[in-house]
Amino acid sequence: MSVAEAEAKELRLEQPSSLGRDALERFRHNKAALVGVAVILLLVLVAIFAPLIAPYGPRQQVGALDSSDPEGPSSEHLMGLDEQGRDEFSRVVYGARLSLLVGLVSVTFGLTFGLILGALAGYFGGWIDTAIMRVMDIMLSIPGLLLAIGLVTLLGRGLIQIMCAVGITTIPIFARLLRGAILAQRESDYVLAARSVGVPGGRLLMIHILPNALAPVIVQATLAMATAIIDVAGLSFLGLGPADPGFPEWGKMLADNASRLERAAHLVIFPGAAVVISVLGLNLIGDGLRESIDPKLRS
Amino acid sequence: MALLSVRDLAVQFVTRKATVRAVNGISFDLEAGATLGIVGESGCGKSVSSLAMLGILPKPAGRVTRGEVDFDGVDLLKLPDSQLRQVRGKDIAMIFQDPMTSLNPVLTIGRQITESLRKHLDMSKDEAKKEAVSLLGRVGIPAPEDRIKDFPHQFSGGMRQRVMIAMAISCRPKILIADEPTTALDVTIQAQILDLLKHLVAEENMALILITHDLGVVAGTCERTNVMYAGRFVESATTSSLFARPRHPYTLGLLKSVPRLDAARKEKLEPIGGTPLSMTQDIEGCAFAPRCIYATDKSREETPELARIDSDDHLVACWNPVPDEDLPHVEVVATQAEGRTAR
Amino acid sequence: MLNYALRRVILTIPILLGLSIIVFAFVRALPGGPAIALLGERGTEEQEEQIEEELGLDQPVYVQYGRYMSNVLSGDLGTSTRTRQPIVEELKLKFPATFELSIAAMFFAILIGVPLGFVAAKRYQGVLDNTSLVLSLIGISFPVFFLALLLKYIFSIKMGLLPTIGRLDITRSLEHPTNFYVLDSIIAGDTAALGDSLRHLVLPAVALGTIPLAIVARITRAAVLDVTSEDYVRTARAKGLDPRVIDRRHVLKNALLPVITIIGLQTGLLLTGAILTETVFAWPGVGSWMLEAIRFRDYAVLQGGILFFAVLIVFVNLLVDLSYAFLNPRIRYQ
Repeated sequence: MSVAEAEAKELRLEQPSSLGRDALERFRHNKAALVGVAVILLLVLVAIFAPLIAPYGPRQQVGALDSSDPEGPSSEHLMGLDEQGRDEFSRVVYGARLSLLVGLVSVTFGLTFGLILGALAGYFGGWIDTAIMRVMDIMLSIPGLLLAIGLVTLLGRGLIQIMCAVGITTIPIFARLLRGAILAQRESDYVLAARSVGVPGGRLLMIHILPNALAPVIVQATLAMATAIIDVAGLSFLGLGPADPGFPEWGKMLADNASRLERAAHLVIFPGAAVVISVLGLNLIGDGLRESIDPKLRS
Repeated sequence: MALLSVRDLAVQFVTRKATVRAVNGISFDLEAGATLGIVGESGCGKSVSSLAMLGILPKPAGRVTRGEVDFDGVDLLKLPDSQLRQVRGKDIAMIFQDPMTSLNPVLTIGRQITESLRKHLDMSKDEAKKEAVSLLGRVGIPAPEDRIKDFPHQFSGGMRQRVMIAMAISCRPKILIADEPTTALDVTIQAQILDLLKHLVAEENMALILITHDLGVVAGTCERTNVMYAGRFVESATTSSLFARPRHPYTLGLLKSVPRLDAARKEKLEPIGGTPLSMTQDIEGCAFAPRCIYATDKSREETPELARIDSDDHLVACWNPVPDEDLPHVEVVATQAEGRTAR
Repeated sequence: MLNYALRRVILTIPILLGLSIIVFAFVRALPGGPAIALLGERGTEEQEEQIEEELGLDQPVYVQYGRYMSNVLSGDLGTSTRTRQPIVEELKLKFPATFELSIAAMFFAILIGVPLGFVAAKRYQGVLDNTSLVLSLIGISFPVFFLALLLKYIFSIKMGLLPTIGRLDITRSLEHPTNFYVLDSIIAGDTAALGDSLRHLVLPAVALGTIPLAIVARITRAAVLDVTSEDYVRTARAKGLDPRVIDRRHVLKNALLPVITIIGLQTGLLLTGAILTETVFAWPGVGSWMLEAIRFRDYAVLQGGILFFAVLIVFVNLLVDLSYAFLNPRIRYQ
């Protein structure tokens, strides 16, 4: 769950503000947002340098197999051992790669298709617009997770399938956003001026309209990444993730160990905390961006 | 002693970015039953001064930095809010510019009128309801017994302003402050509302402070008019004198920029050059100097204070008041309050 | 108002139609075909062919859709492949549990969220305000199931304050006319059972309700801030009214309107949250039922469940819109 889902119902279709210098200024002074940036930077670094940071491989056996009482955190194993005797810390570290990948891929997927659909709807209008928006409305009326569950059931389980499913659930948000931006800009003075001089439609779209719609899209993308990470974790938890038992995805790690809460809480707490921290970082950035480009939204 | 006596009132808005000096020391007296107009552009501080007097400046930014507001012998600025509340809405009432946004959309207008009556005059529910119906009738709303259950959006603009007036006079205040009461209304309705105000002032012997940017509005309604610029009064006179002999260049500018039905066809409207001051810096010298055609070096260095000119009750704050030959030839029609004409 | 209501209701029809088509298409698109929906993955080829003929799966699509719709509209959502029970019956049994949980969660969210948002707005940019904003953000960054596990671990396992699983102590017996355990214990006059069922509700309700709480608090804060800067609040102050009266009659009455719609719109969140939370607490509701359906590939249940959820949400949204229209005089009297 991220701010994206919460705000999806109240998407503002006013004149989009630009990513000017003021926006960056405001962002720089927003302490919470900077914390978010720090967190995500950390996450990215951990993901990139995972092999250097993690003392062991994510599937490497260190301790007892099929342990009924996995070791807790110790000086040797910072986060303890998991039920198959693997170093939990290493698994969590490698899990960062997956989470980042998951977030990026699903959002890119959703963003691309969403923007295309939104552009088509906004630009052509008429029945194309109505048709596309009706479908988007129906998609939005099914809660994200439910839709994702349905899609994964269709596509089969696996990491790629989950990413696509979650990506698809973000399409309506981006479609609506871009369509709104286009509609708002279409009637604005400078577009009318450009039109009257004979600038062709496609160029108009690319050069004038899209850059102005960029700001809210970036905000939504950040927030959508946060939702994506949570949803993917959720789908893994439901058993729809990769079938591979050793897969170091945080959600899956949570799912596999939910029943061991009493004896091995560390196997639940650490991956869970990792998800919370990453998502929080993204939410902080997204929120901060949103405030920077349109400060009056705050109060 | 005057009913209301304001001395050197100054108000600031303090935000993280800047401090805006909205009001820079204004003083005036108001007798019972008198009508005073305060005229000035948007942003000159005219509304803010009234809000400050009543203690309803937007918090936390707005604050009164100095001054006295003596009402009936008590300095309102020194009263705690709990006591000020007894005065607000009861002895001094205020109506605002946009009646659509100034009325609570989810309460019936009957409720909005009776809540003052019940709070200030301790009326019972039935008494208040009856009084509300009677008030609506007085301000000219037809079928008041029915309309009392209606919501603000069910009234037209002019009707809504009448409702606001009914709300304001409900507790028979000694002073009514009307902040741009007609600005948001059609011209024809404007005249009706102003007439209503004049009528009520006479009936209730209520003092009226009429705040506006439109000189035409004060012309028929106020005995005296003060002209405000950059948070200060720059001219103060009886309305007819102000129109006949506008001694401050800004006042002259205002008069000239208002279209007149009786002006010669070829006369062009003259707007006042320049732009209004940003009120964040300390002003050296006369605030109007940058836009003034009569400005001299002294204007730019020393701040003029209000001083008598022409007569005892005509004051102007200017080192270079408008000379006689530049005064407009104006015929001022009688104001009901004055009862005489001047040429 | 009537006009608006009618229009709004009529608008729901195409949405419901669209939903039914999507769910229908979903089943037909399943790898292996719709026969799987009935047989599960363990059917043999002959059984599949037999079923296909029986169900007229060789008929053109629109005929199949027609049959499907007539089934749904007559209350037949099919049969669970796992338990062989009619889905509608299982729903009747399990839905009250989820409903009870959702209400408790919403109660929790509103009881704490609205006052929190209100106070945060009143002390704008004060300590409480900033803290509540941060807490809200943290709240929506938690996956529901992790929160559930964490709460269970801290309060149940470690501190032993609250029960770990289930709706009622297994040793206790209670008649269940309504299947709402809290209601049932009140009906039976059994205070011990009432206390017990409430204790069992606490952790799941808090887990489920935390995200809605964060959202409600944020929206309330925004709404109160908006309303406080409105002209009519200035008018109320100019009338010399008591600040508490102003807050109640002028600020809250207006600010709560959008908050109410937001509360209604949380249904989707609650239902999906239920799927993730119930299993942690072994709460026998629709959520854990769906989870099992996913695990055991019970496509019939999945199909019926998704349709049920989606339709429920559409109706709740409709209700919310109509309530809003009723509560807002600008729409009601027009």
